[in-house]
Amino acid sequence: MMSVQTMQPGARETAAGGPRQRYFYPYADNGGTVVAIAGDDFVVVASDTRLSSGYSIYTRDQKKTFQLSERTILGSTGCWCDVLTMTKVLRARMQMYRHEHNKAMSTGAVAQLLSTMLYHKRFFPYYVSNVLAGLDENGKGIVYHYDPVGHHDPGKCYTGGSGGALIQPLLDNQINYKNQENVTPEPLTVKKTVSIIKDVFTSACERDIYTGDAVAIQVITKDGITEELFPLRRD
Amino acid sequence: MRFTTSTMDLMPLQASQPFDPSKYRYTGPNVQPRQLPNTRSQAPITTGTSVIGLQFDGGVMIAADKLGSYGSLARYQNIGRLMRVNDHVILGCTGDYADFQFLRDIIDQKMIDEECLDDGIVTRAPALHCWLTRVLYNRRSRFDPLWTTFVVGGLDDDGKPFLGFVDKLGTAYTAPQIVSGMGGHLATPLLREKMDGQPPLSEAAARELLIRCMTVCYYRDCRAFSKFQIATLKAGSIKIEDDLEVKGDWEVAHFSKEHA
Amino acid sequence: MFLTRSEYDRGVNTFSPEGRLFQVEYAIEAIKLGSTAIGIQTSEGVVLAVEKRVTSPLMEPTTLEKIVEIDKHIGCAVSGLIADSRTMIDRARVEAQNHWFLYNERMKVESVALAVSNLAIQFGDADAETAMSRPFGVAMLFGGIDENGAQLYHMDPSGTFVRYSAKAIGSGSEGAQQSLEETYHKSITLKEALKSALTILKQVMEEKLNASNVELATITPENNFQMYSKEQLETLIANI
Repeated sequence: MMSVQTMQPGARETAAGGPRQRYFYPYADNGGTVVAIAGDDFVVVASDTRLSSGYSIYTRDQKKTFQLSERTILGSTGCWCDVLTMTKVLRARMQMYRHEHNKAMSTGAVAQLLSTMLYHKRFFPYYVSNVLAGLDENGKGIVYHYDPVGHHDPGKCYTGGSGGALIQPLLDNQINYKNQENVTPEPLTVKKTVSIIKDVFTSACERDIYTGDAVAIQVITKDGITEELFPLRRD
Repeated sequence: MRFTTSTMDLMPLQASQPFDPSKYRYTGPNVQPRQLPNTRSQAPITTGTSVIGLQFDGGVMIAADKLGSYGSLARYQNIGRLMRVNDHVILGCTGDYADFQFLRDIIDQKMIDEECLDDGIVTRAPALHCWLTRVLYNRRSRFDPLWTTFVVGGLDDDGKPFLGFVDKLGTAYTAPQIVSGMGGHLATPLLREKMDGQPPLSEAAARELLIRCMTVCYYRDCRAFSKFQIATLKAGSIKIEDDLEVKGDWEVAHFSKEHA
Repeated sequence: MFLTRSEYDRGVNTFSPEGRLFQVEYAIEAIKLGSTAIGIQTSEGVVLAVEKRVTSPLMEPTTLEKIVEIDKHIGCAVSGLIADSRTMIDRARVEAQNHWFLYNERMKVESVALAVSNLAIQFGDADAETAMSRPFGVAMLFGGIDENGAQLYHMDPSGTFVRYSAKAIGSGSEGAQQSLEETYHKSITLKEALKSALTILKQVMEEKLNASNVELATITPENNFQMYSKEQLETLIANI
């Protein structure tokens, strides 16, 4: 128990077995994984539904995706208190934009706003991994990936969170045909994308204790957003 | 502010010479009061252990024992950690008891202010849960946290049971069963075993389960205590039972049997 | 003592009993002393044209600047107290760049007009939160291209902004507006608009119109904001 205590951020040992000083660490890692894959006229966003702290599962029923508009969804994991605060501020900023400019924000505009918001907290960052997915002005799917201080990169498929490092190379291979030779690219369909997402989450939760319970899959098309819940292992 | 002068500043002044104020530098360009790091709220002092909350058919129930620990000392043995906020909200607090009292006073005053307005608008559990999240997050962002974890219970705007969790960072979630503190490791499995994938518990079953959890916590958590409270909230009623006690069964302790 | 109006035209934010803010109305009057400016919106883009009062042959006409660029896709023509317009143009430019910085997109013309109108009404006697001690004595025409196509907005010193198909401001505005109403039609081309802007300016100007006493700019989806050079103006004027 003692050694576990000192391993945690927030506990510091001054001498072996000597007095311990606690200091306040303002961040937590609450786990969670998000994946987003863009097609020509759709985009699929998925997150697992487990919220954890250490070896405890807080709840098995917490999506990490946030619908920001009819055509944009944000997936956000990491320090959950920062996720809650950041998404609240972002939604408020989007509402203010709506009032000021008499229109809904485009996915590209949200992408830039999020980057600036994150960078404005450069020296006390939101400890959050973001994946923003949506349809652009032409109805084409697009995904943006962020680091905690606002660097961002548009792309076709991205993952974030605790299982991100496990899933990303597989998606690079399967979606972007990385490290494959003599392959004829096939256009992505919603059906195939959803099935890949189920596979990568099933695989990730075999190895990552912070991913599991269920995966919430949302599909954005010009006709609207549909949602599906797919069960994962719960241990 | 700390007043600091170095001995170097005093050197030009000699007793045999007349006092020349221009040569006496109280503060030089390099002499600045040392900025000490913020040492507030580095650790909780008087603490309460687990709070256990669960939803049942038509309401919520929250339990907490009555011990205020001072480190390993069982310092205060009859203090309540549950609070009736108004006719619609109850809450329980784990962690620093002083921080709980501080927030309790603020919440009480909020409820008085709300009562004075007399506009029929009342704070419900989701609103108080959200408010607590903001307060705790703001304090953690100022590096001056309120070292507490709250379990908020009530009914949501649709009249369905609501149970929410907030900790000192502002981490927040809602769930059908919530346990804060050490009980998170001890009682959560018992609750999930009886609740996951099953129809809502009856009030009686919920109460029985809660007492079972309090008993297990008392057996295994060194900072738990036998005396505890249960707050029960249903539409239009809040009941706080104040005089409950874990009826421990120590028969299994062979050592005590031998020496009986 | 008070000849026409009453003591209600002293405080800039004091309503008269009839519900009028005289200082704002006087500011609107000030526009009518300014040089004429015309804006015409077509489906291909917006035309902005102004007269420049060259009061002395020793004056360098190019330093009179009454059409300015706000952002690549928005231009602005002003009439009235030109010095006042500088503050507002600064604000418009800052807002447009800030919008791009925050959202990585071009600001709508309407939003620019809104942002400037917020500045226009920040006048008052109090020290705090006021941009000016009196209303700004300038009217502006914002022309630009955004996702809604070509747009023309007019804003006066009261901060009111309204979208127009074609609008004239300044000393010759009455006659010019009438001419615009006669010549404007929904399917007007950019070329026709250029020609009619110059023709109308020619009618209302006291001096003879030439390439150095007018300014002309277009804002189009292809070329964004473009000022006309002296040579371009000369060929245009030759054809009217």
